[in-house]
Amino acid sequence: MPLPVRYNWRNVFGRKISTGMTVAGIGLVVAVYLLVLSLAEGMRKTFEAPVSSRAIVALRVGAQSDAMSIMGLSEYEAVRTLPGIESDAAGRPLISPEIVVLIRVPRKDGRKTNIVVRGVVDEAFALRPALKIVTGRRFRPGTSEAIVSSRTRQRFVGMNLGETISSAGQRWTIVGVFEASNSPYDSEVWADLNNVQAQTHREGVLSVIRLRAADDAARGRMMTAIEGDQRIKLAAKTEKQYFADQSGAAKPIEFLAYLVGIIMAVGASFGAMNTMYAQVTARTREIATMRALGFSRGAVLASFVAESVALALLGGVIGAAAAALAIHTIWASPTGTQNFATFAEVLFNFALTPELVVRGLLFSVGIGLLGGFFPALRASRLQITGALRRA
Amino acid sequence: MKFLRLVFKNVFRKKTRTLLTMGSIVLVLVLTVVLTSLLATLERENSEGKGGTRIFVQHASGLGYFLPLSHRQKIEPIPGVLAVTPEVWFGGTYIDQRPQNFFGQLSTDPETWKTIFDDFSIDPAQLTAWQSQRDSFIAGQQLIDRYHWKIGDRIQLTGSYIPLNLSLVLAGTYRGADESTIFFHNKYLENSWIARLGQTGTFVLRVTRPEDVGRVTEAIDAYFNNSSAPVKAMPEKQFQLQFVEMLGNVKLLIRSILLAVLFTVVLITANTMAMSARERVTEIAVIRALGFRPRDVLWLVLAESVTLALLGGVVGVLLSFPFTRLLVEALKRSPAAIFAYNFRVPVSSIATAFVAAVVIGTVSGFVPAIRAARLSVVTALRQVA
Repeated sequence: MPLPVRYNWRNVFGRKISTGMTVAGIGLVVAVYLLVLSLAEGMRKTFEAPVSSRAIVALRVGAQSDAMSIMGLSEYEAVRTLPGIESDAAGRPLISPEIVVLIRVPRKDGRKTNIVVRGVVDEAFALRPALKIVTGRRFRPGTSEAIVSSRTRQRFVGMNLGETISSAGQRWTIVGVFEASNSPYDSEVWADLNNVQAQTHREGVLSVIRLRAADDAARGRMMTAIEGDQRIKLAAKTEKQYFADQSGAAKPIEFLAYLVGIIMAVGASFGAMNTMYAQVTARTREIATMRALGFSRGAVLASFVAESVALALLGGVIGAAAAALAIHTIWASPTGTQNFATFAEVLFNFALTPELVVRGLLFSVGIGLLGGFFPALRASRLQITGALRRA
Repeated sequence: MKFLRLVFKNVFRKKTRTLLTMGSIVLVLVLTVVLTSLLATLERENSEGKGGTRIFVQHASGLGYFLPLSHRQKIEPIPGVLAVTPEVWFGGTYIDQRPQNFFGQLSTDPETWKTIFDDFSIDPAQLTAWQSQRDSFIAGQQLIDRYHWKIGDRIQLTGSYIPLNLSLVLAGTYRGADESTIFFHNKYLENSWIARLGQTGTFVLRVTRPEDVGRVTEAIDAYFNNSSAPVKAMPEKQFQLQFVEMLGNVKLLIRSILLAVLFTVVLITANTMAMSARERVTEIAVIRALGFRPRDVLWLVLAESVTLALLGGVVGVLLSFPFTRLLVEALKRSPAAIFAYNFRVPVSSIATAFVAAVVIGTVSGFVPAIRAARLSVVTALRQVA
């Protein structure tokens, strides 16, 4: 017969300070673990944002990102005439020549960092249906107007509607704010292709060609055709693959989460073990009495493990709640890190997904099991007669 | 001091408990050493003040923009300037695109290299060999250790934004503050668009005395202020710092983790100390009755927790060495490999860990110590523990 759970609950709540400290310790560990993981998750989600499976990115061979790629108009002409590009309602092919330049602008924390300015034509919007203007309007072709992502607006200085971005002689006036369903485009500034080329003295220079294939079969054919064309030295990737290749930026942070998480979990379970050992000692006679009443060794073992798990789980719940609270208050604004493929900052939000919360709770259960097992083993092995006799 | 024996006896009275508490202190201090070393690596504190006379000149809009090579002639006559070289970041791929195989690839002028990188060392014969062979390169010791290149070995680099494939032969090895870079001839890039357009990525120069740095950077900035390619000149340290800044909030993240972790271990240790002080209520009452003052009791309990934490500190610091070695090995195979090669445990990290141990001991022993000192002797003696 198992020991009643109520016995454990009463014990957990019977000694408030000691329980409170153990629970708080475990809660902190879980909160830190979850915060770091949700940071990595936010970054990963950015690079895994849904894109059309037929979207193709054509870059200079060897370039890992469009910021590192360079080509001329001849490459664009060669790709544009390939068969298999989808057309929009008006019959125009969905192909977008783009230039990517980096500008150094001040963040709200006072530091300067690189962000991407993407010079585009109308087709760029048709190729990215997820991109929506949330305030203002699109820039007019041929002008030095620009639109910024709302994350960029939140993170950098002087990015509000009507303000002018200026960086070493180049200037763009902001006329709109966009959101692009948490994709890497949400870290960018968009302006007119010709204007960006002219302002950066790069007339006739392109960085990347994006296009959408008419169907899945055409996608494969087009990618082979682009890579096989001897006149141009371009490599083609699906847009999905293109972003996936850059998602390595999340790996170091994930690594940090596991490193800190595992070490601290062991540390916290040592703390829980101390508490449980002290409990076993304090309740020696109690345990012996229960054993004398007929509760089996297994029941005592299970009961003490359960108590430790309950303790840890309580910490886990508090930790997860604290992490959620922190994310929704002090860390609600977007944060960013260097994307090594573009040398620009990629912006993202903490993403505490339900899966992560579950992982955090399981993590706390693990701490409880580890911390409870040995003390429970000692409890179950007590010599009944000796323990009963002890004062 | 004469109570040291008593303190030690008390520390080891409950062996399991002491070991567990020490265990968590040890783990936290290992983590402290690792995290503070990581911070130091990010801040490149290991350059130890060398290269104080080097200046980097980049486009005012950032590294994504190029500068006209003709700027060189304007920079050279500025008083105090010893030598100038254009440098181009090649950014090519070696073997494959995995981040493990990422390292710095810079084109430079081998003739002025030794003057500008005066704090780097290279065998003079190797330097001459490098200077005389157009397709040769020199590599930092760290890269030699990583790839086991030998003099005369040829490596292939696939260009990215410079669409050129390089085939380079190793001419020498250098030692210096940054050993994860290769240098090759500017001339080898002559056929690329960047050279045809008469452009370069950055200029690197050296001034005679560190006091000249401020004046020269200002002079360079001012000279090109109204040109079509305005520049930003800065000391090497600041140039390197911008890469760290690009990492965004990573530093803040690590600092916050560190704080949370230390707070956690204070909670755990304080709990242990409270438990042991509570169990010894009668004992404390007895020594008080023997004539110990409340202050003595306070010191006894506090000394116990500090001793415990310091023991944990010593073990933690000792263990952090093999641990970081393992970690670096693991990191080298991970996508964060770039950090692994520059990872060192600075003395300041170890000092931080010891300070942390003392703080952990003091803070966590404080409340139990005060409670023990304030104990009412009469009630405590009556109590059956």
